[in-house]
Amino acid sequence: MEFVYKALKRLVWFYAGIREKFSPGWITKNSSRIREWELMAYAYSKSPIGVIGGIIVFIVFILAVIGPIITWEPYWEYKIVINESYRYMPPCLPPSCSGNPLLGTDEWGRDVLAMSLYGMRISFVISIVVVLLGAPLGIVLGLLAGYKGGVVDEVLMRVTDIFLAFPGLVLAIAFASVLPQRLRGVLEANSMLRSFFASLFGLRGAEYGQIAALLSIWFAMVIVWWPGYARIVRGSTLSVKEMPFIEAAKLSGLSTWSILFRHLLPNVISPILVMMTFDIATATLFAAALSFLGLGPQEPVPELGFMISKAGQFFPERSSHVVIYLGLLLLFIAIGWNLLGDALRDILDPRTRRAIEYRFEKEKKRRG
Amino acid sequence: MESSLYLPEGEILRVEDLVVKFYTYAGVVHAVSGVSFFVRNGEAIALVGETGCGKTVTTRAITRLIESPGRVESGRALFRRHSGEVIDLLSIDPETLREIRGKEIAYIFQDPTSALDPLYTIGFHIHETIAEHSKNAKKKYTFKKAVELLRQALIPNPEVRVKNYPHEMSGGMRQRSVIAISLSNSPRLLIADEPTTNLDVTIQAQILDLLRSLQEQYKMGVILITHNLGIVAEVANRVYVMYAGKIVEEGATEQIFYNPQHPYTKLLLRAVPDPTKRVEKLESIPGVVPSLINPPTGCRFQPRCPFAITKCASEVPPMIPVEGGHRVSCWLFEKS
Amino acid sequence: MASFLARRLITFIPTLVGVLLITYLIAYAIPADPVRAWVGEKLMNPQTLEQIRTKYKFNAPWYEQFAFLVQQLLTGQLDDPVRHRNVFTEITSRFGVTVEVAIVGFLFLVAIGIPLGLLAAVFKDTPVDFAVRIMALVGSSLPSFVLYYFLILLLFVYTKTTYLAGIPEPTIACRTTISTLPLRIPFLGHLASALGNVPMFAAIMCREFSVVADTFKRLYLPGLALGLLNGGFIARIVRNSLLDALSAEFILYGKARGLRRLSVWKHALKNAMVPVITVLGLNFGGLLSGAIIAETVFNIPGIGRYMYEAIMRLNFPVIIACTFLVAVIYITVNLVVDILYAIIDPRIRY
Repeated sequence: MEFVYKALKRLVWFYAGIREKFSPGWITKNSSRIREWELMAYAYSKSPIGVIGGIIVFIVFILAVIGPIITWEPYWEYKIVINESYRYMPPCLPPSCSGNPLLGTDEWGRDVLAMSLYGMRISFVISIVVVLLGAPLGIVLGLLAGYKGGVVDEVLMRVTDIFLAFPGLVLAIAFASVLPQRLRGVLEANSMLRSFFASLFGLRGAEYGQIAALLSIWFAMVIVWWPGYARIVRGSTLSVKEMPFIEAAKLSGLSTWSILFRHLLPNVISPILVMMTFDIATATLFAAALSFLGLGPQEPVPELGFMISKAGQFFPERSSHVVIYLGLLLLFIAIGWNLLGDALRDILDPRTRRAIEYRFEKEKKRRG
Repeated sequence: MESSLYLPEGEILRVEDLVVKFYTYAGVVHAVSGVSFFVRNGEAIALVGETGCGKTVTTRAITRLIESPGRVESGRALFRRHSGEVIDLLSIDPETLREIRGKEIAYIFQDPTSALDPLYTIGFHIHETIAEHSKNAKKKYTFKKAVELLRQALIPNPEVRVKNYPHEMSGGMRQRSVIAISLSNSPRLLIADEPTTNLDVTIQAQILDLLRSLQEQYKMGVILITHNLGIVAEVANRVYVMYAGKIVEEGATEQIFYNPQHPYTKLLLRAVPDPTKRVEKLESIPGVVPSLINPPTGCRFQPRCPFAITKCASEVPPMIPVEGGHRVSCWLFEKS
Repeated sequence: MASFLARRLITFIPTLVGVLLITYLIAYAIPADPVRAWVGEKLMNPQTLEQIRTKYKFNAPWYEQFAFLVQQLLTGQLDDPVRHRNVFTEITSRFGVTVEVAIVGFLFLVAIGIPLGLLAAVFKDTPVDFAVRIMALVGSSLPSFVLYYFLILLLFVYTKTTYLAGIPEPTIACRTTISTLPLRIPFLGHLASALGNVPMFAAIMCREFSVVADTFKRLYLPGLALGLLNGGFIARIVRNSLLDALSAEFILYGKARGLRRLSVWKHALKNAMVPVITVLGLNFGGLLSGAIIAETVFNIPGIGRYMYEAIMRLNFPVIIACTFLVAVIYITVNLVVDILYAIIDPRIRY
């Protein structure tokens, strides 16, 4: 894991170098923060699950980015139009077989392996953006509610209570079934938005109807996601805001926003970061589940959950290869993020910190 | 078969050359390195020293309450049981040890709040302490006994308190409850680990008085652990001064207080301010306690000792008698 | 205790109202005309549409419509426009099925999760502990529907250990007996009759144990799947909670008092149970709200599937009724968990 530590350390110093250029003296002022990052990089490099998770996530990221570009079969061509026998062809693995798609074909005769590259882009984009939108939204609201207290707090609590009263899936279904029509109209009218989202998801602009469905899944999930964060951040804020250093900040006349973001947030952020990492895995599976239930994009968009649901109808006689492969793919993606979250939680755990610090100092002394 | 399990008349506990080590990620911590002391029937001894000198570990090691990564490496803890039989606590079988714990040897832990299970009443704690050591303890009997014990511990309204949960009591009452629980089976030896440190000063005095009167009443031997010399002066008959896992001086309370020999003891006593005198500066002992992972060779106090001579850094001083019962581990008192 | 309960109930009423209102407003924001969706192609003529519109007060302002729906809801007269049945009869029978599935799933969850958690704690840092960690990881990373298909392949296709159609019901004689209970026994009769909506309970009350066995045969597959998916997670919580309890000072004090190993473990376990109960309770609550995906894949006529279909067809009356039910479940489960908490942990009572 040496190279992992070295690579991360170089990243840290690279970032430090940039900050230094913009505001000279930054490095000396923030030397303890830099050491903290080095410590975390070290701890991370020493954690096997962290490194494995990181590698998996990295692979997923690469495949998601280049997938739709390197894929050898366009998703909008239905092979079955040419020849009915193309549907659900079984996997053709060398050496016993050659010439046919490696992992078989799907409902429309398309190469499953090629389609999964599109699917990975879609899953990745949805899961990342849902968490990156939903979490900050919840965090900001939670900080405000916890810090201000009073009416603001009560209102937020009631609202999150209402949202949390529904099982997440039900709420998401409700929104995801309602929104596509509205969004469809918007995309139809605005070609810039259409091409932007199309390239984001690796699809063609012509599929704007299905893209509308994807966007509604997005919105639905963000709406389901933010209350959890708001609740947790509010709880943490309540316990931290009584601490003396917050009072000191108030007395020195800092503005509310300043206090919230520069003093409160860093103290509650650690478990939130862990939760966000785990949530990316959860969001991936959640989006696949929504598509499985029919709320996401329909054909020809090769969304992973949707393809599995279609395969379910022919299961297991003809389509088990689709279910197994795509299922394993989703498992792989989720495991990567979950391992990363696990490692992050261990690193940020104050109880194991002393042992890590001790080893870190010893290593540094050894290297001189 | 066994090397002499013999206790002099009148002694109830004798610990010989106790060694306890902790195997941690940072290395091996030599928490206790060859500690020996004894307790007579009905007398109270004090184990005095700074935080981290090994007082608590020593007393827990006696009944093998040390858990991983700690290990009792060697030593003997000779104990005279109620039956008169003398056994070595560090080598008897686990079941016999369990019988002795809570019945013949009792503990009072430093923090009464965390010592009590929050989900059970005080009465239940006493009930199970009694029931686990007798064949047929009926609840009616044990709860009556519990009320009696709480009354002895000077808890008002014991009939009500016996049904209380720990969180329904104040700190002082909790500590008194712990004392009552520990006395459930009339133990012969009581080990009190900083029993008043976590309490208000006014309560401290009450608890100390209570301990003293109970000691007289039950004729128990008491090992009192503390870093507060005021308590030592009030309660203890004899004192053992510990530093960095070793005993550096031992003797009767008056001997230690009026005639301290070891440089550390002297500095300790000087560090206690006299409330009747006006001082410019509070005394402290310069330097820090050494790391017990690689303890210094020779005398462990040597790095901080203002009177150290060359011999101190290389050889460990033995226990040198000063006057009757008063011994000190310091090369300054070597008799040539 | 009474004031504690009262206070909890009071805070939930605004939540309940909010839930209903929000649901309604979301539905109201839909541009489409739901009545067409309800009626379907066959009966599509202007008169029928107008009839339905008047019945559900579509021509009235939104708050009147909402009030009407709520009033119908509370008096139990709400009708499902798609199926032409009273919503409540439909809901009670479907909810009964969901309760069955939840119970079987919960049993598997507890049977898998708790023992594994205990083992992982006792054999900390050994391969057993590691295996439990892996199970928790895979359980939370595997898409549920994939596991369902896989188990179906294993336990239904290859080895016919279960079947995937319908739900075992007690005999008609049994059902009539139970429905007449309210008339014969005043209070308990109503309770028994309500419980009788769960086919398994009705069968038990009539001593038709073959039906019970049949129910397990039918439902053990989704139950097992749910248990495997969440079991690892529960096991980890049990493990961590038990290890935390074992390292508490009062455990050492218990040993110092000479308690037997069994008694020491009793103390540790009781303390460890507290967070576990909360998680298990919330999990059960989630199961009661209907596992939509499981109901779809295993072909179970439960609440989850009902709600899903209602949403897809913009079936407002059903949506409102189901929402109400889900909110009530949520409130009740939270309340029960809090009560259990207060029973076990005396510090919580006030």
